Amino acid sequence: MSAAPRNSSLIAGALLTGLFVAVALIAPYWTPFDPRALSIAGKLLPPSAHHWFGTDQLGRDVLSMIMAGARTSVGVAALSVLIGLLGVPLGLLAAAHSGGIDELVTRGNDLVFAFPALLLAILLTSVLGPGAITAIIAIGIFNIPVFARVTRAGALQLWTRDYASAARVAGKGRWRISREHILPNLAGLLIVQGTIQFSLGVIAEAGLSYVGLSAQPPTPSWGRMLNEAQTLTALAPSLALFPGFAILLFVMGLNLLGEGLRRRTERPE
Amino acid sequence: MSRPARCAVLLLSIAALMSLPARGAQGNSIGGAQGNPAGAQRAIIGMQLEPPMLDPTANPAAAISEVLYGNVYEGLVQFGADGSVLPKLALSWEVAGDGLTYVFHLRGGVRFHDGSSFDAAAAKFSLDRAAAPGSLNPQRSRFDAIRAVEAVDPLTLKLRLSRRSGGLLQSLAFGSAVMVSPQSAANNARQPVGTGPFRFLRWRRGDSITLERNPDFAGTPAALNQVTFKFIADPSAAFAALMAGDVDAFANYPAPESFAKFAADPRFAVFAGTTEMETVLALNERVAPLGNVLVRRAISHALDRGAIIDGAMYGFGTPIGSHFPPRNPAYVDLTGMYPHDVAKARGLMAAAGYPHGFSMTLKLPPPSYARRSGEIVAAQLAQIGIRVSIQDLEWAQWLDQVYARHQFDMSIVGHAEPLDYDIYARDDYYFGYSNAEFKALIAALDDSVEPERRRDLLQRIQRKLSLDAVNGFLFQYPRLDIWNAHLQGIGFDNVLGVVDVSRARYDGAATTARDAEFSAAGAKPLPAYRMAFGVFAAGCLVLLGLAAHRFGSAFLAQRFAILLATLLVATAVIFVIVQVIPGDPVRYMMGLQGDAGTADALRRELGLDAAPLQRYVAWIAGLVHGDFGTSYTYRIPVRALVIERLQVSLPLAMYTLLLSTLLALGLGLFAAARRGYGADLVGGMIQLGLAVPNFWLGMLLALLFAVELHWVSAGGFPGWEAGFWPALKALTLPAIALSLPQAAILARVLRGALIDALHEDYIRTARAKGAGRRQLLWRHALPNAMVPVLTILGLQFSFLLAGAVIIENVFFLPGLGRLVFQAIVQRDLIVVQSVVLILVFAVVVVSFLVELAYVLVNPRLRATYGP
Repeated sequence: MSAAPRNSSLIAGALLTGLFVAVALIAPYWTPFDPRALSIAGKLLPPSAHHWFGTDQLGRDVLSMIMAGARTSVGVAALSVLIGLLGVPLGLLAAAHSGGIDELVTRGNDLVFAFPALLLAILLTSVLGPGAITAIIAIGIFNIPVFARVTRAGALQLWTRDYASAARVAGKGRWRISREHILPNLAGLLIVQGTIQFSLGVIAEAGLSYVGLSAQPPTPSWGRMLNEAQTLTALAPSLALFPGFAILLFVMGLNLLGEGLRRRTERPE
Repeated sequence: MSRPARCAVLLLSIAALMSLPARGAQGNSIGGAQGNPAGAQRAIIGMQLEPPMLDPTANPAAAISEVLYGNVYEGLVQFGADGSVLPKLALSWEVAGDGLTYVFHLRGGVRFHDGSSFDAAAAKFSLDRAAAPGSLNPQRSRFDAIRAVEAVDPLTLKLRLSRRSGGLLQSLAFGSAVMVSPQSAANNARQPVGTGPFRFLRWRRGDSITLERNPDFAGTPAALNQVTFKFIADPSAAFAALMAGDVDAFANYPAPESFAKFAADPRFAVFAGTTEMETVLALNERVAPLGNVLVRRAISHALDRGAIIDGAMYGFGTPIGSHFPPRNPAYVDLTGMYPHDVAKARGLMAAAGYPHGFSMTLKLPPPSYARRSGEIVAAQLAQIGIRVSIQDLEWAQWLDQVYARHQFDMSIVGHAEPLDYDIYARDDYYFGYSNAEFKALIAALDDSVEPERRRDLLQRIQRKLSLDAVNGFLFQYPRLDIWNAHLQGIGFDNVLGVVDVSRARYDGAATTARDAEFSAAGAKPLPAYRMAFGVFAAGCLVLLGLAAHRFGSAFLAQRFAILLATLLVATAVIFVIVQVIPGDPVRYMMGLQGDAGTADALRRELGLDAAPLQRYVAWIAGLVHGDFGTSYTYRIPVRALVIERLQVSLPLAMYTLLLSTLLALGLGLFAAARRGYGADLVGGMIQLGLAVPNFWLGMLLALLFAVELHWVSAGGFPGWEAGFWPALKALTLPAIALSLPQAAILARVLRGALIDALHEDYIRTARAKGAGRRQLLWRHALPNAMVPVLTILGLQFSFLLAGAVIIENVFFLPGLGRLVFQAIVQRDLIVVQSVVLILVFAVVVVSFLVELAYVLVNPRLRATYGP
C-alpha cells in the first residue's frame, strides 16, 4: 500500500474541518455583514462583489449567515458528541463485568437503537421546546449507545491482552484496570468514532433545523436556510445551493479526517 | 454463460426495469396546463390544511368548511362576498315580533345525498341537534338565543328567540349551522351527507378528499364530474405541485414570494383578494409594560407595516389600523392613527417610564406569515429599545402556552374568524384586554337589528380598539389563489374561505397522467402491501424453522422472552414520554373557537378524563388484542391508519433498499477489483454520498426533474389503485434521494469486506488452483462479504420505515413517518404511542431475524450461540 492516499485524506479532511471550525470560531466576532441585519429593500440580491453569496428574502447577507450557521452547526454537533461520551464509562463497565451488568448495558443500548431517532427528537422538542439545546440533547442521547457499543467492543479485546492480565495478577481492581490500562488504549478508537459522530451530528442538526426544531431565529442555521430557500428557488436559486454545499463540504471534511485518523491509528498493528 | 456474467445480465435487466418508469414519463409530459385532450371534467385542487374530520357541526376546523361548505353541505342562508347574508336553502325569511320570531320559507324538491328529502322537519332536527346540551357544535353559544324551532309545514320553519339577536342570520350562515339529514347525521364525520351539488366519494387520510357530482341536485348541476382536494402543507411543495401540474389549482396559496411568477405565466390564472383574517401583533396586557397604553401606542408607532407586508408577504396584504376587514361596508380606515415614527415611539416609551426599553419574548405559531413577520417586527422593536427574543412554537404548543395559559409577552397570529371583534369583550381571552366601555359597545351591537345603528356601533368598536392600541394591527391577510388557466369558475372570494367548485368547469380537459388516477378510482386496489407482507412472513417462518432445527426450541424461547421484555420496557418508555408532552389534544382540536362545555364533552368522548395509569393499562390490554386504539383526530382505528400509510412506507423502503444495494454492489465490486484511479474515483463518490444530506438531494431532484423537466410529479402519491407504474413513479425521486447516502454506507462496508476477504486463505488457495481474478471476486469473496452488508441492510430497512420523515415532507408522501410527525403536532397521542411502538417492534424483530440469519449463514459464529 502506498502512503500517499493515507496522508491525502487526513490532510484534506483536516484542512476542510479546520476551515469550518475556524469560521465557526471567528463568526461571533467578525462576519462581512451583520447576519441579523434586515434590509427589505435589498432582498434577494444575486451574488456580487459586495455580497459574495447574495442576500436572502429579508436582505441579510448569505455569506455572513453561513458563517454564523457554521457556529450553530459546530456547536450543536460538538456538544452532542460530548454527551455521547457518557457511553464510554458504560461500555467500560459492561466490558469489565461480563454477565448481568453487561447484559443490562447491551439491552439498554439495543432499546435506544430501536427507537426511531428522528421521531424521538421531534417528540423531545415538543416537550422541551425547539432550540439548539434541545437539538444537542436529542442528538446526544443517540450518541451514548454508539460510544457504549464501540467502547465495549474495543475494551473486550483489550482485556485479553497480556498487560491486562498482568495488571490483574498484580491485584488491581477491574475499574482501575479499565481506567489506567484499557481507556488510554481506546483513545484512538474513540477519537475516530467521535469524528464520525461529529459528522453525523452535523447532518442531523441540518435535518432538525430544516424542520424548524434546532436553533431559533434570528440565529442562522444551515437547515433552516435551506427550508426557507425552497419556495424561493424561482427567484433566487443560489439560496438553495450555498447552505447545501456548506453541509456537504463540512461533513466530507469530517469523514475524510475520521478515515485518515483511523488509518493512522491502525498502522502500528 | 459463466456465473458472474449471468449475475451481471440479471442486474442489468433489473436496472433496466427500474429505469422504465422514468423513461415512460418522458413520453407523456405532464404539466397541468399543457396537455388537455378532450373529455373528462375533473380537477385537483391543492390546499394547505386537511380537515381532521368531515362534520362542520362537530368540529371548529376551518378546513372542513373550506372543502365541504357549499359543495357538499348547505345552510339555510349563506354569506355573500362582502359578508352580507343571502338565501340558500331558505328562499326568503321574515323577522317579526320585535325581532323575536324568524320565519323561513324553504326551497322545495331538495334531497339529501342519502335519498331523504330536505324539509322543515330536517331543518328543525339540524338546529335542535346543534343547540342541544352536550352537543359538540363548536359555536353552540351562537344558538343560545333560540328558544324553540317549529316546523309549521314542510316548507315553513319558525324560530322563536328568547332575546333579540342581531347576529342570528350570520350565525346560520356558518358551517356549524349546515343542514344535515336525520338519517345519516351521526356518520357525517366520516361519510358527509348534505344537499349540495357534490357528494362525498372518498377520503385518503393525509393525502386527499374526492367529491363527485350529485346527479339529483335540485339547482344547476355542477359541471365537474369529480373534484379532488389534495392536502399539501409545505409552501415549497405547493409551489412544486403547481409548477409540475400535479394540481390544477391551489386555494389560499401559502408562498406569496412566488405568486408573481405564476401571475406572469400564461398557463396560470391568479386571484389576489382579501380575507377575513386580521394579522395582529398580540400583546399580553397582563404583563407589566404591555398593560400600559403608552407602551402599546409606542409599539404601534414603531411598526412599519409597509416593510412588514413587503418583507413577509411580498407586498400582498392590506395594512389595517384596527381589528376589522377593509372589505366590510362598515370599515373605517384607521391606519393613519399610528404612522411609523421611531422618534415619537421613543418619546412615548420614555413617557411611560421605559427610556431604555425592556426585554420581551415573541412566541410564533408555525405559519410562514407569522414566522417571517416575527423576524421583521423584532428588528423594528429593537429600534425603540425593546429587545425581543423569538420562540417558534408548533400549533399545539401555541394553543397551550399562548392561547390557553396566557404564558407569553407577544405573539403574531391571524384571526381568521369572520365578525370576531367580540373577542375583545372576553376577559379570559388570551391578550387580556378588559374594558367596560368596549363591552358596552358589543352588548349594544348584539341588541340592535337596524342596519344604520349596527353600522355606527361597528365603527365605534373599530375606533375604540385603535385608540387603546390593544394589539399591533399589522395587515389583513391576502387571499391568493392560483389555477390552471383552462379551469374556469372556481369561487374563491368569500367570507368562509370556501373553495366553491359548484360552477367550475374545464374548457379543455384534464391531463392524461391524471386520467389514470381518476379512471382507476373504481378499480380493485392492488394488494401490493399484502403480497410484500406475505413474502416477509414466509421468510420469517423459514428462518425460525431453521433456527429451531439448529439450536432447539429452548434457545428460541429464551430469545423470545428477551424480545417481549424489551417491547414491554419500550411501551413504558413511550407512554411516559408521550404523557409529559405539554399541550392538550382537546385544546388543539377546538382551535381558537369552542367553549368549555364542548371541550369537556369531547374529552369524555375520547376517554382522556381517565387517570394516566388507567389509560396505560387500557392501551396495553388493547395491544394484546391487536387493538392499537382510535385516532383522536381522524376517529378511525390506528390500525387502519397504519395499514394505509404502510402502503407508501413499505414499498418506499424496499425500493430504496433495492436501489442502494444495486448501486453499492456496483461501486463496491468496482472498487475492490481496481486499484489506483478507478478506486479513488469510487472512494470520492462514496465520500460525496456519505456527506450529502438526503433532504437537500431530494429538494434538488424535485426541482430538476419535476419542476424544470416535468419528467415525474413533484410529490404526492396516487395510490396503488392508480396502477403499479404511476405509483412506482411517484416513489422514484424519494427513493433515489434516500438511497444515495445509504448506498454510500453500503458500498464502503462492502468494499472493506471485499478487500478483507481477498486476503483470506481460501482466496489464496483458489488463486493457487488457477481461478481468475473475476471469479475470485464473484464466487469466493462476494458471498463472504455479503454478511456484514446484510446486517446493515436489515438496520436500514427498519430505519427507512420511519426515518424517511423529512423526505416524506419534501415530497409530501403520506407515509408512516409523516403520520407520526403530524400526530405529534396535532397531539394525537394515541397514534404517536402506537406507531412508535410498531416501529420499535419492527426494529427489534428485524435485528433478531438478521442475527439469526447471520449465525445460520456463518458457521464460524455458531460456536457462540448453539445449545
